[in-house]
Amino acid sequence: MDDLTFCKEMERESAEQISACYQCYRCTTGCPALPEMDILPHRVIRYIMLGEREKVLSSKTIWSCLQCYTCSVRCPNDIHIGHVFDTARKIAVREKKALTDVWTFDTLFLDSVRRHGRLYEMEAIMRYKLKKKDLFSDTRMGLDMMRKGRMAIFPHNIKDKKGLQRALGRIDRGGPIW
Amino acid sequence: MVTLTYYPGCSLKTGSKFYQASIQKVFSTYGIGLRELPDWSCCGASAAHTVNEELAHVLVARNLAIAEKEELNFFAPCSACYSRSKITNDTIRNDISLQDRLNGVIAPLECTGSLEVKNIIEVLDDHVGVSVIAKKRRFDLSALRVVPYYGCVLTRLMRVKPFDDREDPRSMDGLLQALGATVLGWPFKMECCGAAKTLTDKEMTVRLSERIMGRAISAGADAIVTPCPLCQMNLDLLPSLGSTAPVIPTLFLSEVFELAIFGRMVGMASHLVSADPVVKKIKEA
Repeated sequence: MDDLTFCKEMERESAEQISACYQCYRCTTGCPALPEMDILPHRVIRYIMLGEREKVLSSKTIWSCLQCYTCSVRCPNDIHIGHVFDTARKIAVREKKALTDVWTFDTLFLDSVRRHGRLYEMEAIMRYKLKKKDLFSDTRMGLDMMRKGRMAIFPHNIKDKKGLQRALGRIDRGGPIW
Repeated sequence: MVTLTYYPGCSLKTGSKFYQASIQKVFSTYGIGLRELPDWSCCGASAAHTVNEELAHVLVARNLAIAEKEELNFFAPCSACYSRSKITNDTIRNDISLQDRLNGVIAPLECTGSLEVKNIIEVLDDHVGVSVIAKKRRFDLSALRVVPYYGCVLTRLMRVKPFDDREDPRSMDGLLQALGATVLGWPFKMECCGAAKTLTDKEMTVRLSERIMGRAISAGADAIVTPCPLCQMNLDLLPSLGSTAPVIPTLFLSEVFELAIFGRMVGMASHLVSADPVVKKIKEA
């Protein structure tokens, strides 16, 4: 029998019964992100069951996932596949196997929320662009949004920032760092 | 007359301010009162749960706790806000250990999941209803052909009961028909617009939103109608993202209500793709 250690680890971390998969391919047939993926979704699930830890954690697939949950709602075995993929992301980041643009932007987004209480989009975007050393590729989008009043110049700060930050500080960091 | 707690979320205060203006105008016509949630914070949107699940629940729990003091149902017009709030709210109602854990984190605040979290379709269905909607319309929208676009997160909920069918929702179709618009059938009601990839993988968002736009045009639509600010933004942004394919305007659901009641929309100037052709299709009833 193949090594079930990784499958059990993924089942524990995601609380999903991944081993219930019988390879019907419904997740793959409904997925809108296939062109951006390197391993088809049903195969990622199979690789988890086969113990192919490296292959799964270093795959592009887990990061291309849009979290639209088409696969999850169609799974005849009630496996929340979108959640299995985001669980793999968390392990990959924790073990420094991946630091993708998606993770970079999501954490900048959350850092903005931690500091202001609400998303300060302009700041999160500019910090992301500085990190990527790519300031001008989305200039047209930004200018068009500003011209139409669809990009706020200043942040919205909530009154009880301290209370929010105190709560966020109490969150169990046993999980991935954000 | 009903009053709801209104949770605007970040989008309705920044990129989609005109959605808020539109909702306020339409809701006051029907006598629905909105009380903005005091000192609300971000729901975590698409970012929090993929980074740390507890963080996602905590961000929502703070807002629910403030709302529960008022005992009014929780109205979230943004699909991401609605979905994230509903997931935490409906889960903690039965999962007492999660409820206790979250309350330990947000203390001295406290929440129990006692309210109903509602989206804009539900509010219009439950508190107005199709017969009043049909009665109150003053403009003829029959020449306006629309495709209803629900987006991903409104009904694709796991382990939480959705308000409509997960894969073939029809509630918004019913509202648009009551408004007198010509509602076209199409298979892309639920297709993903590219969501939050607009910045991290622009090509992907363009590919996905172009498919939706193209399908709406080939179905013969004059406009796409959605309740979701991110879907509206991605579709409306297509030319700004460098797409050269033909486009039609993407309206918020409440804007079609405005057209039927007032014959115009407060957010005309905020549309990136001009909505003028849509307004020209409206006639006095």
